Amino acid sequence: MSENKIKTDEKPLKPAESSGWSALKALVEGFATTAKHLARKPVTESYPEFKRQLPERSRARIVLTRDPDGRERCVACYLCSAVCPVSCISMQSAEQPDGRRYARWFRINFGRCIYCGLCEEACPTSAIQLTPDFENIQRDILTLVFEKKDLLVDGCGKDPSYNFYEHAGVTTDERGKGEHANEAPPVNVKSNLP
Amino acid sequence: MPTLKIDNREINVPAGTKVIEAAERLGIMIPRFCFHPALGSVGACRVCAVAFTEGPVKGIQMSCMIDAQDGMVVSTTDAEAVDFRRHVIEFLMLNHPHDCPVCDEGGHCLLQDLTVAGGHGLRRYRGLKRTHINQDLGPLVQHEMNRCIQCYRCSRYYQEFTGYRDLGVMGIGSRVYFGRSAPGMLESPFAGNLIDICPTGVYTDKPSRYIGRRWDYQRQPSLCIHCSLGCNLTASARYRQVVRHEARPNLEVNGHFICDRGRYGYAYASIADRPRQAMAAGTPGPIVDILAGAREAIQQTVEKHGPGSVAVVVSPRSSLETLAVVKEACGQHGWTGPAAAHTNRQALNRNTAVSCLRPELAVSLAADTEAHDVLVIGADPLNEAPMLALSLRQVQRRGGHVIVIDPRGVQLPFDFDHWAVHPSAMGAILQALIQEIGGHRATAPDTPATFDITKLARRLNASPRPVVVCGTDILTPHEIALAGDLARALRRTHKVAGLFYTLAGANAFAAALLHDQPVSTEAVLDRIEDGGVRLLVAVEQDLWREFPDRKRLQAALKRLDHLVVLDYVDSPLNREAGHFIPTQPLYESGGHWINQEGRLQAASPVMAGGEPIEITGGSDHPPRVFDRRIPGDEPLAAWRAVAALAGEDEADPAPQLKTALADFHPAVNLSTPEATGQRIDLEAIAHDLVESGPAPEPAEDDAPADAVVLLLVDWTFGTEPLSAMAPALTRMEAAPVARLHPDEIARLGLAEGRPVTVSLNGNRLTVPVQADPRMAAGVMAVPRHHLLEWQVFGETRVIVKRSQLKAESE
Repeated sequence: MSENKIKTDEKPLKPAESSGWSALKALVEGFATTAKHLARKPVTESYPEFKRQLPERSRARIVLTRDPDGRERCVACYLCSAVCPVSCISMQSAEQPDGRRYARWFRINFGRCIYCGLCEEACPTSAIQLTPDFENIQRDILTLVFEKKDLLVDGCGKDPSYNFYEHAGVTTDERGKGEHANEAPPVNVKSNLP
Repeated sequence: MPTLKIDNREINVPAGTKVIEAAERLGIMIPRFCFHPALGSVGACRVCAVAFTEGPVKGIQMSCMIDAQDGMVVSTTDAEAVDFRRHVIEFLMLNHPHDCPVCDEGGHCLLQDLTVAGGHGLRRYRGLKRTHINQDLGPLVQHEMNRCIQCYRCSRYYQEFTGYRDLGVMGIGSRVYFGRSAPGMLESPFAGNLIDICPTGVYTDKPSRYIGRRWDYQRQPSLCIHCSLGCNLTASARYRQVVRHEARPNLEVNGHFICDRGRYGYAYASIADRPRQAMAAGTPGPIVDILAGAREAIQQTVEKHGPGSVAVVVSPRSSLETLAVVKEACGQHGWTGPAAAHTNRQALNRNTAVSCLRPELAVSLAADTEAHDVLVIGADPLNEAPMLALSLRQVQRRGGHVIVIDPRGVQLPFDFDHWAVHPSAMGAILQALIQEIGGHRATAPDTPATFDITKLARRLNASPRPVVVCGTDILTPHEIALAGDLARALRRTHKVAGLFYTLAGANAFAAALLHDQPVSTEAVLDRIEDGGVRLLVAVEQDLWREFPDRKRLQAALKRLDHLVVLDYVDSPLNREAGHFIPTQPLYESGGHWINQEGRLQAASPVMAGGEPIEITGGSDHPPRVFDRRIPGDEPLAAWRAVAALAGEDEADPAPQLKTALADFHPAVNLSTPEATGQRIDLEAIAHDLVESGPAPEPAEDDAPADAVVLLLVDWTFGTEPLSAMAPALTRMEAAPVARLHPDEIARLGLAEGRPVTVSLNGNRLTVPVQADPRMAAGVMAVPRHHLLEWQVFGETRVIVKRSQLKAESE
């Protein structure tokens, strides 16, 4: 039927274009290009023999970083597990004797993680960060379930200075009321002065 | 009935309704912090500003402070009003700390929601943040004053609503502080509600501190089963552990609040020693085999000794489903029971109360608050059913009057009249009252002159809305029936008079409908002792903890051929039992409960069950080995287990449950979903249970003059067996003491603070003595405390002679 006929805008070939000469020309040009590239240095890198330094912001294996003073940054606020689109983060928050909130256990199932980076974006304390280390492949799927000891690293990661407990007005072993950034000394409720 | 227009929608509201409430009826939620339906308006937070464009009021006004009036035109979306609210939020956030990540309120915080809604994200103010020193408010409530936005909800609730004075507002200006004058345990047993009403995280839940976020919780509507009032609550579970209760508003029952016993009593469902393994004579085995073994044991006993040789006891705390299936099983097979009360007196008390509760007299807990005068007879509200005390407080706040006739040293958080009369005098006083109310001059019983019955009768007669509240614990059936008569007598002179009984057990009302003739555990033990009963099935009834004569119980159980226990709490009987079958608490089974006014209420299952991850992981991360089954998922809903014991092999118990519920009692109709939440058909309950029961036991009239009546009583914390397992509440409870009037201590030759030993029929109970000047003379009140071995006398009301009391040196 006429509707089924495919319409093309192609014009019929001219006699010169369909000649043997033009075919030969194309063949030579093609070989010339191949020969040129054969002599060139390759743009690809041979992985795993060569391992390129990836940009700092590439998103791969997730770590838990520490404060500048070396304490765990994670306060187990559950924002990363809430925002995670594949629900691969689970944890249990608890209170340390010094008054800090921390993750008693923290688990990321890398078998499920899609490395979207939303957890890092949601983290209010810069604790959870994605690193460029993408070589996280295991034969046994269970070994991809990382516990806190596997996730915790030394150092601050991409945020070298932030310390949540310097800003939160929570009493810890280091800071009492009125001793945090931008805080006035505690109110004396017994005073009558205006 | 003013008609006003809010956001171009017209609405007609009753006079006196605030604009904010009128908007709520239209589904428009005007932001609010200080306004709370139970506490009313103060206009402290300024965040409910709306624009009044036409009518009697003009301009930007606080919608919680303005009564809805005719012709008002209100805009909640007016640009000026929106801007006003935005600025108020920013202003309230000036001093708010930067601690949402570590704040337990985060995720269900009203301030957080409205800050986001108001578009405030960055703090523009450069000044310093005001800080406050926190206080230790005890084991239930965590204090963090930095977060306060001065809405005054806490002090209004604590002082005005509950009537306690130890938490309030201090300081002036921007230094306003909400707390106690000195750190210490909050005195109110309703303090947990501070957590619910605080719009931000100043008061947070301490037992569930840092446990998780609300969005992660499995939350379902549930019920409190720690007394008979049936308060509504929302239960939260996480990682197979019940972690939190919150009050669920039900304006017909508990209003907006619950007591701390109900709020924190959930730990029993998740504690480490909750039995989850079926056992045969202490040896664990698969639940299917154990059920089959128990069924076989029952069949053998029936074959050998007849169906009556199998007896069933069931808890008045069990769900309606369990009670119905147990009743059906006993009826079908001719087993003895089910017994759902410990002693004959308790069974009779409960059934008397239920039979006296006529539909025209029954009032709900919420309707109680509208009473003008409340006469409380033989009940200690704060200790037996705490929310009743909060209800009575509202009566007093509205100008009503509360009179308590009770031998115990009843305390309530407001002014009330207490007639501390001896238990034996209660009946005479009630009879005299009924006569006086009927217009007859009564011969005054032998009571002190301060207890003026004529005056009380006149007051009740003159009251526009009197309510009689009656306990069923320390009284006799006769007195409970008299309380009903009193309410009926009042109804003859009043159009509205109420009757309100408290019962023992969350489903005691349904337990009363099991039989016309109440059966008690005591009666079952009689049958065991005379050899009539050879096999006992205890369904969720921890006889070890709750039966008032442990020695007799143990002797009786030894005479049994076989004991089958179905329960969710740990008890020595579980290991002694021939067959033990673990059951599910209400968080896993769900079910229906009938509260003391006959209201049928439902609780949804909150979680699937299994050992909490906290336990399987040993407080660390969950195990890294996976199984097809959840560890500890064997417990069955009690009704399923009973159906399996009573029914055929492998039969599906669901149809059995359906017929059991349909046949349970004509008053209880579960066929329509609308029936849930409503009072059952009280008319369909036989109102002659009192006459048909066994004769009331002899009164204490013939007791010698120097005798005292020993009452085993309830305390708010420490006596209710399930809530007593909660670690947070064990820190709230006082050590068990025997309370006596100081004169009585002197008369009996005892010394305050020193222990006294009560020896009766070869049983002994030693407990320290405490003086309580509010107690009646001749009475000794001992709590059924879990730290006290009170299960010695077989009764909860006994007469003790002077010679049976011995003062211990230390």
